[in-house]
Amino acid sequence: MHKAYKISIIYFSLFVLLLLTSGYMIFELKIGFDAQRALSYYMGNEESFLAAKTNSGILKITLGHIFGFALLSMVVLHFLVFTKYRNKMFTKTLIYTILIAQFFEIFTPFLIINVSEVFIYLKIISFFVYMGLIPTVLYLLFDSIVQIKN
Amino acid sequence: MKFTIIKDLSQDSMMKPILSGLLLFTILYLLSDIIVKHNSFGVLPNAIEMTLFGNEEEFLEGMGKTLFLEFWHVEIFFIMMVVFISSTIYTRLSNASKSAVVIVNIMMISSMISLISLPIAYFLSSYFISVYAVTFFIWHFLALYISLFSIKRLYYA
Repeated sequence: MHKAYKISIIYFSLFVLLLLTSGYMIFELKIGFDAQRALSYYMGNEESFLAAKTNSGILKITLGHIFGFALLSMVVLHFLVFTKYRNKMFTKTLIYTILIAQFFEIFTPFLIINVSEVFIYLKIISFFVYMGLIPTVLYLLFDSIVQIKN
Repeated sequence: MKFTIIKDLSQDSMMKPILSGLLLFTILYLLSDIIVKHNSFGVLPNAIEMTLFGNEEEFLEGMGKTLFLEFWHVEIFFIMMVVFISSTIYTRLSNASKSAVVIVNIMMISSMISLISLPIAYFLSSYFISVYAVTFFIWHFLALYISLFSIKRLYYA
């Protein structure tokens, strides 16, 4: 791999970290990491004058994220093909876990308002799994990049 | 990333129009971005300050924290994709020359500073609005140059 591409990937990784940071800040501000507060965001809360979310309202928010998550994961994960971690069981598990986490991160709000409030825990857990695993992939990329000579 | 391993892109009848289209739309996006920002968020320090903090004399409200963070979040995503894709194509078509690597570095760093200075300006010091405005124009100009140069290389290499 040429040095110029390595630099581009490192810059891209920094952008991804920035994107995750902004996502974390929005989640904390709007939804919150406390299960009760997060539940109020979706189910509404009279004391806080919060209206309950509707299916169409949630779909409006998730629409951009369905494409955004897919594109981001594809770009980040496809770099693993160029690393020493290619075709390893660990890497495949990592890829599937990220894809499953992002699926639940996007779609659990529908389960929360239509099926059971218990899914709020899945929403928060999947968010943290995604937030933790994407930087792990970036670390693997960085680790491989510094070791590839050409 | 397939184009990074094709030997001669200007002779590849499949990749040449695909990359030309991508670069053309990138140029259109960059120009549209400047126009849209000029009409909404602002591109000059005074206009940006007005959008972020409002103006009491004119009874204009500033940008709310949630709205600001959502704006910043979307900006990061688009800038990340634009600078990464255009720089990869440019690096490939310029054969990763020394000057190309320097230009790519300046574009990446300026776009990164632009994105980081925005929340600093909003949460900490309005001085960083000027830093954002300057770096905004630097990375847009370089991204336009990179895209135009890449199209030229595809057809007149």
